[in-house]
Formats: sequence, C-alpha cells, structure tokens
Amino acid sequence: MTTATTSKAEAPAALPGAESPGTVVIDAVTKHYGDATAVDRLSLTIEAGEFISLLGPSGCGKTTTLRMIAGFEEPDAGDIRVSGRSLLGVPPYRRDVNTVFQAYALFPHMSVAENVAYGLQQKRTPKSEIRDRVVDALDLAQMRGFADRKPTQLSGGQQQRVALARALVNRPSVLLLDEPLGALDRQLREEMQLELKLLQSRLGITFVFVTHDQGEALSMSDRIAIMRSGRIEQLADADTVYARPASAYVAAFVGQQNFFRGTVVEGGAVDSAHSLVYDMSAELPVGSTGLAAVRPEFVSIEADVAADASGAANTARGTLIGVSHLGETMQYLVRLGDDQSLIARRPSPEAPQLAIGDAVVCSWRAESVLLFPADDAASASGYVAPPTA
Amino acid sequence: MRRRLPGFLLAAPAWAWLAIFFVAPVAMVVWFSFGYKPSIFATQATDKLSFDRYAEVFSPTFFATFQNTLWVGIVGTVLCFLIGLPVAYWMAVKAPPSRRGLLVALVMVPFWTNFLVRTIGWQVILSPDGWLSTALQAVGFEPLAILNTRGAVLLGVVYNYLPLMILPLYVAFDRVNGPLREASKDLGAGKWTTFFRITLPLAQPGIIAGVLLVYIPLMGDYITATVLGGAKGNMVGQLVASQFQTAQNWALGSAMAVVLIVVILATVAIGAAIVWFVTLPIRASHRLVIGAPATTPASASIREEVTA
Amino acid sequence: MTNQPDIRILAPAGAAKTIRRELSRRRFLSFAAAAGSAGLLAACAPNGSPTSAQASGGPLESKLSIYTWGDYDAPDVLDAFTADLGPKISLSSFNSNEEMVAKLVGARGTSGYDIVVPTGTFVAQMAEHGLLAELNHDLIPNLKHVDSAFLGRAWDPDNQYSICKAWGTTGFVYDVTAIDRELKDWNDFIDAAQNEASGKTSVLDDPAELTGLYFWANGIPWTTTDPDELDAAEAFLVNELAPHISAFDSYPGGSAIPQATQMLMQSYNGDARLGMLESPDPERWKYVLGSPATEIWMDNWAIAAGAPNPEAAHAFIDYVLSPENALAELDYIGYDTGAKGIEQMASDAGLPMLDLVFFTREQIATMHEGELTEAQERIVQIWNATKAAAGA
Repeated sequence: MTTATTSKAEAPAALPGAESPGTVVIDAVTKHYGDATAVDRLSLTIEAGEFISLLGPSGCGKTTTLRMIAGFEEPDAGDIRVSGRSLLGVPPYRRDVNTVFQAYALFPHMSVAENVAYGLQQKRTPKSEIRDRVVDALDLAQMRGFADRKPTQLSGGQQQRVALARALVNRPSVLLLDEPLGALDRQLREEMQLELKLLQSRLGITFVFVTHDQGEALSMSDRIAIMRSGRIEQLADADTVYARPASAYVAAFVGQQNFFRGTVVEGGAVDSAHSLVYDMSAELPVGSTGLAAVRPEFVSIEADVAADASGAANTARGTLIGVSHLGETMQYLVRLGDDQSLIARRPSPEAPQLAIGDAVVCSWRAESVLLFPADDAASASGYVAPPTA
Repeated sequence: MRRRLPGFLLAAPAWAWLAIFFVAPVAMVVWFSFGYKPSIFATQATDKLSFDRYAEVFSPTFFATFQNTLWVGIVGTVLCFLIGLPVAYWMAVKAPPSRRGLLVALVMVPFWTNFLVRTIGWQVILSPDGWLSTALQAVGFEPLAILNTRGAVLLGVVYNYLPLMILPLYVAFDRVNGPLREASKDLGAGKWTTFFRITLPLAQPGIIAGVLLVYIPLMGDYITATVLGGAKGNMVGQLVASQFQTAQNWALGSAMAVVLIVVILATVAIGAAIVWFVTLPIRASHRLVIGAPATTPASASIREEVTA
Repeated sequence: MTNQPDIRILAPAGAAKTIRRELSRRRFLSFAAAAGSAGLLAACAPNGSPTSAQASGGPLESKLSIYTWGDYDAPDVLDAFTADLGPKISLSSFNSNEEMVAKLVGARGTSGYDIVVPTGTFVAQMAEHGLLAELNHDLIPNLKHVDSAFLGRAWDPDNQYSICKAWGTTGFVYDVTAIDRELKDWNDFIDAAQNEASGKTSVLDDPAELTGLYFWANGIPWTTTDPDELDAAEAFLVNELAPHISAFDSYPGGSAIPQATQMLMQSYNGDARLGMLESPDPERWKYVLGSPATEIWMDNWAIAAGAPNPEAAHAFIDYVLSPENALAELDYIGYDTGAKGIEQMASDAGLPMLDLVFFTREQIATMHEGELTEAQERIVQIWNATKAAAGA
C-alpha cells in the first residue's frame, strides 16, 4: 500500500530511544483473529502532542489497533513503541497510556471522585495529592459539582466527561479514545468535539481517536488515518484527505462523491456513458478503467433550456427526481440514466427554483474532478452513488 | 387509550403465595411455640400462653446439637464459597463464551438425580470396602476411614450445595462486563487489584445470594449430614423434626423452629457485620469525598476559556 | 428374591437396588411406630360408632384399592388375584402410619381405600376413632392358616379389625472378622460397642429402639414410664454408649452391611437378612436376636371404614392368607407373614437365611410389643440427647 510507505517516509530516521515522550510508533503490526486478519502489517508514527484519528467503517481494524496500543491485545507480529519504549509483552497496567472507553466503563460502585482517584491510587500517590488532582481533573471536565455522585445518577454526556477526567488525571503521555462520543446526541457531540480539541491542545497530550464518523475526524484531527481492511489507506491532514483523497475509497468515505466509471482517454478524461469527466492532473494509463469523482458541492445545476442533447465535457443532463432542504444547502438528486444518478448541492440563498420532473443540466469545473483507478472493492461496497429507483 | 394494569396486580399472586405459604405457617409456628402439649393424645394447645417452651429449648442437648449444626453450616458455606468462587469466575470470565452454556449445564447435572440417591452414592464410594478405598489400598494407603466423620459431612455438603453457590456467583461475575476490568487494568491496576476492587464488589449481590442459598437450607438440612456423617452429622433440624413427628410435641418443636430461624438470621447478620468491619479499613482507604464545590472554581474550565 | 419390581428412578443400575430399599417397607419399619398418631386422631371428632363391614359374601366388586407401605406386596400375588377373581387392584403407598391416618381422618370415610395396613400399635386407636371397618371372618376362611401366636394381640384381642400381615423383631449384626468372640445378647452388644467396636457401632435411628436397647439388656419392660428408670437409661446412653456410636442408622442392611462400614449394628431381622444376602462375604456377618428381651412389631391387614369394595377387600385378605400366597409374600418382603407351617414351606422352597425370618416359640416369648405412653416425649428427649452426645 502506498500509505504504509508514506508514513514510514515521514519518520525515516526515528530510531527507538530517539522518539520523544508521547510519540507512538506502530511498526509493521499484524493481528489475526482465527483466519481473519484484523490488522495487516500496519505502520504508523504518531508525533508527540498530535491529535490523530483512526477513521474507517466497522471491521477496518481501527479498534484493534487502539486495543493493541492500550495493551488489551498483543500483536502477532511487529512492534509498538510509546515514548521510544517497546510495549511488546507489557501488560496494560504498566503502560503510560490511558483509554476513554466507548461505553465509558465507569465503575458503578464508586463515586465520580473515586472513579477518578482509582488510577492515582494504583500508583500509590499520596492521599492529599490524589485529592487535589482529582479536583483539578473534575474541574477540567466541568464535573466538580458531581464529585460525590454515583455514575448511574449522571447523563451520558456527564459520564463521558467523568471518563475523560478519569483517564486524564493520570497524566498519560498518550490518551486513547475509542468512539467516545458515539452514544451522545448530535448537539452534545459537536460541543464535546470542540472541547476535546481545546483540551488536547491545552494539555499537549497525544490523542489517538478512533471513530467511524468522518465529521468528527475532520473537525478535530491534526491528521487522519483512513483505514481499510487492517491497513491505512491514507494518512494526511483533514484538508488533504478531503481535497486530495488518495483513493476512491477515501474519496467515498470522506464527504460525499458522485462517481463516473469509464475508460481513461488521452488528457486524463474518463469516457462515461453520460459525460466526459476531466482531471487534468491524473496520470492513468490510457484505455484502463477509471473512476472520476466530483463532490456534490462542486456541481451546479440549472434548468435545461438549451434542449441540446449533445454533451459538453463536465456536463450532465438528466431529470430532477428529488429536492431536499439541508439547512444551509439545498440538495438535488438528478437521474442521468437507468444506472446513474447525480447529487448536486447549492448554498440555499443561490439555489435555483426547480421542480421535480424538470429537465436539468449539471456542470462542474475540470479542476473539481478527481480521477482514480477503478476500485472494485470501493464500488462494490457502495461508495459509488447508487442509481435511484 | 389503553388502561394500564396497576403494578401491584402483577405482584398479587406472589404476595398471596407468600402470605398463604410463608407468613401464615410461620405465624402458626410462632403461636404454637407459646403453647404447650396438654396430653399424650394431643400435639399442642394454646389456651395458656407462656415462654416455658423456650426455657425447655435451651437444654444442653440443644446447645450441643446447635454447636454441631453451626459448625457444619458455617464451615460448609465457607468451603462452598472458596471452591465455588474460582470455578464461577473461570466459567464467567476465562472460559470461551461458546462453552458457557455447556458448563452451566454440567454444574446442574447432579440436580438431575434425587439428592438422597446422590448422597447414598457417596456412601458407597467412601465405604471402607468401596472401590476408592480398595484402589487406595492397592497403592499402599490405609483403608478409607472417612465415612461417619466430619470430613464426610463436609464432603457431602460441598457436593450437594456447591451448584447453589456457583450459579449465582457465575451470573454475578458474568454481569461484571469486560470493559470494566479492562478499564481497571488501563488505570494501572493488576489482576488481583482488579479482582478485589472491581469484580468482587460488583459481584456482591451474587455472593450474598450464593452464601444465603447455601447457608440457610444447610442449617435446616439433616439428611446430607446424617447420611455421610452418621452420628457426627447430628443436626438441629433433626431435633425439630423429632418433636413434630416422634414426640408429637408441636409446641416444643415450634419453639425450637423459632429459635432456629432467629439464630440463622442472627448468624447471617453477624457474618455480614464481620465482613463489614474487616473490610472497613480497606474501604475507608479508598473512600474519597470531595464535598460541595467552592463558590469560585479552583481552576478555569475549558468552557470558560472558550467564552473568554 | 424372585421378582424385582420396576423402579423408575434416574440412577445407575447398581444404586437402584439401594434406593428401592430406602423407599421400601421391608426396610422402612415405621420411623415412629411406637409414636401414636394421637394428635391426628385427637384432631378429628371421634364418631365412636364402629362401622360394620357391608360384606356378606355377595358378588365381588370389579375394583379394589389398597393403601399400604411402598413395595410391600409381591407383584405376582397381586396379578394372580386379579386373574383369578377379577377385581382390578390399584395400589397407593404411604411412608408412615401418621400419613395414612391423616388421610383417613381427612376423608372421613370417603377416602376410597378398601384395604389399609396399619402397624399394631395404631390399630386400637384407629378402631376407636371409627377409621376401620369390622372384618367378617366368615369371608376369610384362610384365617385358619394363621398361626395363633400372631392372632389376638393386645391391640385387637379378637382380630375384629386386623389380621397379621407381617411381623419382625430387633437384634444386631456383627462382623466376625473384627470381633473374635461370640456376642449373645444386648449386654454383649453394649460391651463390644464400648470396646473393640467403639466408633464402628450403629444403633437404630428410633427413640424407642434406643431406650429399648438399655431396658432389654437390664430386664426392664421397654414400655416403662418410671422416671427413675428413664433417667438411668439416659445417663447410661448419653455417658456410656453415645461416645462409641458412629451412626444412627435404621437400615444398616441398605449399605452398612454390604459395604462393611460398621462392625456392630443394631438392626431389624429382615433388613439384616437383606444386607447379609447382598454382602460379597455373607460369612463375615452374624445376626443375633436381641435377648434377654426384644421387640416385636406387626403390620396388619385391615379394611377402611366406608370401603367402597368390601367384598373384594375380604376376598383379597383371604387370598393372601392362603399358604402358597403367604409364601410368595414372605419370599418377596423377607418377613414372616405368620402363616402356620410356613417355615417348613420356605425351607422346602430353599429360601436362604431363614433363621433371620423365623424364630422359636421361646424366642417369640421374649419379644414384646411397643406402646405409646406418656413417656414418649421423655424417650425422644433421651434419643436427642444421645445423638447430641454422639455428634459432639
């Protein structure tokens, strides 16, 4: 995979021992469960103080990777180093890493304060210091007023803050977060995303954040590792991942895409049944099958008044079959043919007034088009916009 | 709108059952215990009430028998607990989940046979001429002389009551889910600390259920102990039964039954108090009460930074 | 043992034998035979007037209901009765006289049972309370086959309500390989228990049998109510005997004899016989009838008051009293049915160990019936005190 080499190239001279505190190095790690390979020769270097997200659908190996860093699973091959020290064979309770669990895993028989104090008690921290640090951590999580309650008396969001305080009070060099916001409602989730990001930049702790929600990953991460079948498909910052996805899979997983499948012709075009789609920068062999992708927000739409059946490049004609109001944008679903439809999105103020059944013409700029080699796996798993009935 | 069934109606059968088959008989036993046996042709009368039967209960015979019963009850329960705990933990935590149903079924296997039959089976195994004894003699041991000893009593008790300990413990351990143990380890606690501070306290309802399920019936059981322990398995339940069945003195039998109930409750309370006191220093050392927050926050929260 | 009845209990084949015994009347000699069902009887209003049997030799009814101890009749005899005479038999069983009495009292003559089998000590009270119907001796000609020694007992001098079904007595068994002297009577039993058989001795788990052991050994009537004698019995049993007792076992023949668990065991004759027959080494065991005195207990055929099938009931009693059926019953249950000349018949039939079934006139003269007295509570107290002392 190209990305594996990329990540290695990013940390080429990182020798064990030279890695600064908080650095996580995953070196060619493989993990099998029976016949299934959960993580496949995965390599990833996470810089100290970085907020990195492992993003992918369920079964992509992101949680397994996290659990191997935490120590709940041992790799079958490869090495994991935190702060330059190999963690192979080191039990979870001797790792300088803490985890915020998906369902929080708060101890129901202890108060909030006792939950937070638990980790410090294990390190034989003096009692007076425990108290101070627990109070600080609870303040940090804005849970000071709930210190003496039991976790069952708290809401989901409050429990999540306690889980965060319980992990952070130990001042780990790396904090692992396993889909911590998954159980929260949307508004609370967005609030917490912001808080987490601020907290991370303030504390300077390395955050490894596992999520299947691309919005979460995009909004918080310094870098995002998009995973697929136990490997990293692309490792880059949010802008790059969004604007320059390394594969059709990434393009489909991050944001939404309109895909056109066709044969690559001279000049980087895909000759689709409905439209010629250009990507000037693409370098695919002529005659191979390619996938061209255009994001809905780059597609403009208007009533088809020309009645000109001949297709210009980067233009598609069809029938409007759906309009939905998404708040800031309007979304249009256009049927191009039996097996192809197209989504266009325009900002609400400048959205054209169109009725269902109207003949429309959609167009986009050649620079907005990304061209990928045809990826059967990506298309088979439904990342190509499906034809609508 | 559908009218909702009032909640107490759902519980009504249980209350009725409890009232008819538990409260009423126990009340009758208590009532009889203040009466007397008027003649050899009558079992009890309550036209004159007194505490005399209770005075009769506290005879040296009763104390000697009670001592034996308590010994069997407490040592038997402790043994069941010590043996059942690791087994239940292993079943709930370590055994492959796909095998757990089978393991629970295996624990239940002895219950498929009448308990008297099972216990008599042990009598055969443990007898000096039994196959176990013969096998031991073949490799140079003395003939087995365990039958009719306290050792045999405990063996029978553990054999008959262990499933009653294992099942509630298993359910309790099963309910303490994996992520909690992982969280504990993640926070720096080793296996033993995790067990004693997370798994065991959370399994507490199961432990209490298991201990009570073994201890209470065991205190009233006089079959298991007698079949294997002979004279050494003399239990107070037999004493109560003898008053009802053989002496036909229901008044004295009732007084004995009441004392037995009181003592069982008292020993359970004492046992709970002992556990409470013994673990008090440990619990105190882990206790952390923060109290109400000061009017001004000690440190700035993130939200304040955001708004700042 | 010609015929093993079906036992439908989920257990290994080897255990089934033992279980059958545990549930069987042949082993189960009334846990509380001497204790009356006085309480139960007192609870019902006595209706005084004895119900006379409505049997006059008319045609037999088509059914017969027998309420008896578990596994207490030879199935062959029951089948043959139906085949020969017609009435279909339905059997129900009880575990104690008290249970049986309670059922009859509760039903007040509508229990539907025709034949019941009470122990002798219960007969008089049951008759007195109108639970039993008078027998019509004209319909039981085979009564002539019953040995007069087992007729006319104190509880029913004219056999107005009851006829002996089976009887047994108490003695002890010892291991001749471990006790190398001859034990002859209760005093020898006590001496051996206190010496070579200490900690390997069992006594019957029954209050009257325990105090009886002391009274028989010392020439005191075992139905005594003398407080001094009872005190002496308690002092002896608790202080002198209890420390040597390892078990209170009413059925040592069930496993203690076959498994050689004990050296010395007080036991009923039929139970001892079954145990010895089952022992891998019968020569190892010797049975001694208790002497100078011991007990006799007797179970009796009787007809319940209000029996729906009195003709069939009389016919059945007459049927089982015939010599050949009496022999079949004896063979099955292992206790003497009290038929005349049955000893010779059993001997001719080659039944084993008949010296544990039949006893001489002289021996029978030393056997005494139990009785429910006001000392019952005291006896239970002594029994409990002895158990407590033995368990300490």
